[in-house]
Amino acid sequence: MTSDPVDRPARVALEPRPQPQISLVDLLDRLLGSGVVLAGDVVISLAGVDLVQVKLHAMISSVRADMADPRQAVRGGRDG
Amino acid sequence: MAETGRYLYAVTRGLPPGALAEHRGLDDAGLELVEKDGLVAVVSDVDLAVYGEDGLRAHLEDLSWLERVARRHDDVVQAVAAQAPTAPLRLATICLDDDGVRSRLREWHDALRQALDRVEGRREWSVKAYARPRADASSNAAGEVANGESGRTTGGAGAAYLRRKRTQTDERRAAEEHAVDEASAVHAALAGAAVASRLLAAQDPRLTGHEGTMTLNGAYLVAAQDADSFVAEAERQAAAHPDLHLEVNGPWPPYSFATLDQP
Repeated sequence: MTSDPVDRPARVALEPRPQPQISLVDLLDRLLGSGVVLAGDVVISLAGVDLVQVKLHAMISSVRADMADPRQAVRGGRDG
Repeated sequence: MAETGRYLYAVTRGLPPGALAEHRGLDDAGLELVEKDGLVAVVSDVDLAVYGEDGLRAHLEDLSWLERVARRHDDVVQAVAAQAPTAPLRLATICLDDDGVRSRLREWHDALRQALDRVEGRREWSVKAYARPRADASSNAAGEVANGESGRTTGGAGAAYLRRKRTQTDERRAAEEHAVDEASAVHAALAGAAVASRLLAAQDPRLTGHEGTMTLNGAYLVAAQDADSFVAEAERQAAAHPDLHLEVNGPWPPYSFATLDQP
């Protein structure tokens, strides 16, 4: 008997490779939706439903324009 | 004279002196440190007319402005996180002055200390899973043949059409459930390879431009030295679930793990 390592499924290289750069969508999700919130005499802390709607409205055309991807069709997404 | 406030980027501790001398905050302002009981807020002066409540609302629809602010905010967060445990703050967290900053550091001291303990030496990884778009048409013929009651033509073409649609609906629902089950399995495996994990809301496809339903938007807190083994686990999951497209990104500052527990 050889001392082969335990048989495991072939590892698939993740495509695209993991990126340390953070996309704008991911960044805004995190900077607008989480993190430490200091209350009190904070002038403003962005939160709330209206901001999400603003973000969505403002981002749609810009994100599409940024992406070189020619695919235009996006599925009608069900609410996440 | 413009009224200014103190814009907070992050809270940290143990930052080496001069660590941020080369970095700039919003509008290229210098970064300053406000310290209270061992916790340090990284701040810069901002014009309240621009970043105050009215100013922000006026700018929110301007995505290029929002992006510039978010990116500069993140530049500062990343610079701090590269040197010390860091609790990133939400965009546009502003105090009127340094006394206000110190009041908040005192008020949130224990929670901030716990947040920093939680993230020290660890980084955030993002793993998203997308169910690959289905070719609905492929099931039509098979469904029709499999579902047709043998030899009977009751109802004719109309009934056959309805049976076909029901089959497609059932198959689509089953596929969606399967995709969710697979995503759950992937998340469980990745969570097992991480110190902590969080499930984030799926992102609207209009924002990501990605075909296929996002079935997983996970954030994972992983020790810095375990990065390679975490990515290897993600690779194993990708191999084990060929129906899913996995997208892995990181390492990032721990945005999703430095939250204060809400009382």
